[in-house]
Amino acid sequence: MVDVITYITRKSHKPLILIPVLLMILSLLYLGIFGLNEGIDLKGGTLATLELKEPMSEVEVNNIISGELGIHDVKTSISGNTAIVTISGDVDQALFTQKFSDKFNILSFRSVGALLSDAAMEQIVYALLFAFVFMAITVFYVFRDPVPSLAIILSAVCNLSIAVGSMSLFGIPLSVASVGALLMLIGYGVDTDILLTTRLLKRTDGDLDDRAEGACKTGVTLTISALASMIVLFIVVKLFIPSAQVLEDISAVLIMGLLSDLLSTWLMNLGILKWHMERGGHN
Amino acid sequence: MVTINQATKQFIKRPRTILLVILLLVSIISIGIFGLQEGLDLAGGSMIQLHLEESVDQDTMNTVTAVLDKRLNAFGISDVQVRQSGSQDVIVEIAGVQPEEVERIISTPGKFEAKINNQTALTGSDITTVSAAEVTGTRWKVPFSVSTEAANKFADVAKGQAGAEVQMYLDDKLISSPQLDAGLANGVGSTDIEVSGGEQTKEQAQTQATEIHTVLESGALPVKLAISGVNSVSAELGSQFETGSLIAGFLALIAIVIIVSVKYKSPSLVLPIVVTCLSELLLILGFASLIHWNLDLSAIAGMIATIGTGVDDQIVMTDEVLARRDISNRKNIVKTRIKDAFFIVYASAGTLIAAMLPLAYIGFARGATGIGMLTGFAVTTVVGVLIGIFITRPVFADYMETFLVRNPREEINISKSSTSKPKKNKKKGRKTIAREEAEKAKKRR
Repeated sequence: MVDVITYITRKSHKPLILIPVLLMILSLLYLGIFGLNEGIDLKGGTLATLELKEPMSEVEVNNIISGELGIHDVKTSISGNTAIVTISGDVDQALFTQKFSDKFNILSFRSVGALLSDAAMEQIVYALLFAFVFMAITVFYVFRDPVPSLAIILSAVCNLSIAVGSMSLFGIPLSVASVGALLMLIGYGVDTDILLTTRLLKRTDGDLDDRAEGACKTGVTLTISALASMIVLFIVVKLFIPSAQVLEDISAVLIMGLLSDLLSTWLMNLGILKWHMERGGHN
Repeated sequence: MVTINQATKQFIKRPRTILLVILLLVSIISIGIFGLQEGLDLAGGSMIQLHLEESVDQDTMNTVTAVLDKRLNAFGISDVQVRQSGSQDVIVEIAGVQPEEVERIISTPGKFEAKINNQTALTGSDITTVSAAEVTGTRWKVPFSVSTEAANKFADVAKGQAGAEVQMYLDDKLISSPQLDAGLANGVGSTDIEVSGGEQTKEQAQTQATEIHTVLESGALPVKLAISGVNSVSAELGSQFETGSLIAGFLALIAIVIIVSVKYKSPSLVLPIVVTCLSELLLILGFASLIHWNLDLSAIAGMIATIGTGVDDQIVMTDEVLARRDISNRKNIVKTRIKDAFFIVYASAGTLIAAMLPLAYIGFARGATGIGMLTGFAVTTVVGVLIGIFITRPVFADYMETFLVRNPREEINISKSSTSKPKKNKKKGRKTIAREEAEKAKKRR
């Protein structure tokens, strides 16, 4: 661990910049080819958590529901005796209860109409856009220096791309919850970059590599503590409350984003800053 | 040991420490008295989202929510909360998971009837417009218009009945029975009618006027609405979520304690970091209970994120101070380092708040539909950050200043040589550092 930090901060830096950049490009390509699933918040539909009164397989649940409702697009995932069913289209809860009460016990039922889902998509685009712009303005205001500021913003772009790319890879749907995690990532993911930039550019004690190493030791602890809390959340949700989709989505996206933050900050941003300072860009 | 006590006393006497302690007490008391309000997904219940055909002004919105509330109550559905969400959406929340009945009530127009001596004088469909209620002193009146046909029918029924009770029914339930005004009992039909009365106090008059206004409006809402979404969670699942969240929060804290312990080892550093984290959490919960804010799953996620990220700034500050311990232990140096650390702390807080602002804005301005569901998450994070930078972290900084400097041998390993002449250092400290820094800055240029 310490050796890795020493290597990253002292030895080589320019070639390392390529690693996060390549990952970012790969993520964007993957995203472009396979696209993102949309959660029911965005495309409308119904999500029901059902307690099975008798054991049955996912296919059986699908068949029962699509047979009775005449809707073909039904997806089910079962853990224990709880099934999470996603049905495309608006389903009336009264009708649902009436038809299936002998087979399932409805634990939760959520249905989103077209009106609501259109509004949600628009809001998501605006929220992400403004969050990013506000973050960028804050960074420029704090450092008032184009190269380091742009490096931080590039690092944020990298985090976002890799997080969204892994959402596509792992089939995490774009939902209100995962967008919340992306927003958190925009705001929080640049913290380690701010730490690094401050230590490198605003401090004078010790030489550059010492400061980089110190910043890296602190920064990695920060990311690991945030990662730990999210991994704990993810595991607890998977084990105890599999139907808490909101928590699962938020923690999964943040875990991917924070992992990418480790790469983008300490391989890319650090590399760019050292390069910039070698060229006499600062001090 | 005397020095420790002295330092401890001074630390405790600082206004910022006292503020933190007071706020912590307020939080505990508030949680004790008000409790924590659980949102739909933790407490269980149903939420029905209604979308209005067009965006409406506040008055119309008030009428819509009041009418819905009145009608749901008239049907005997208890624990109903009708609230607006932005200018075009209304959210109806009920305890329990039977939204069907609510849906049925909402999707049919209200049935309003006014009877005089058990003869129907007016029905909801007769009313064309209802004007705003007027209250002057303890007198109130609600003017409204009816169709010409209805005006004649009303005049027939009301003829000669001056002083009789006009019984107003909403969905077959008696809501109010004001007296018939003599002016309406002359048998001459008028399309402009007003209900009026007097009460004991101005407040009572206001309440009565609003009530009558709502009932008159219930027949036809001023704007069309449609059900746009339904969300219900059983109490069973809600309590499962609650337990799961508690476990997750607790384990996340343990994970943080382990990480911090591995990094710093010394309990005199680990303990304050953890205590700072815990007090932040307690303050957020206290804030939530004080403003009666509904904690939902997204707020829980925000809180767990706050546990993981809130510890960051303590780590940054500790590292900044420790980095200088081998060079000097003078108070001023520590102060500068803490000030430097606060630059990072403020900048990080700035970007997080900047990123959460649009979400909070959408939540408050456009309502809790769509992405507004995450308002809890955004608010928790922002409140957590603000509590951190303004309340808990300054105290943490004070702690470091007090204990890492005044009592260095106890807190961190510092060579004896530097502690043997503290008086001398103290006297020339500030000026020397200022001069040194200035010289350094000159050299750099």
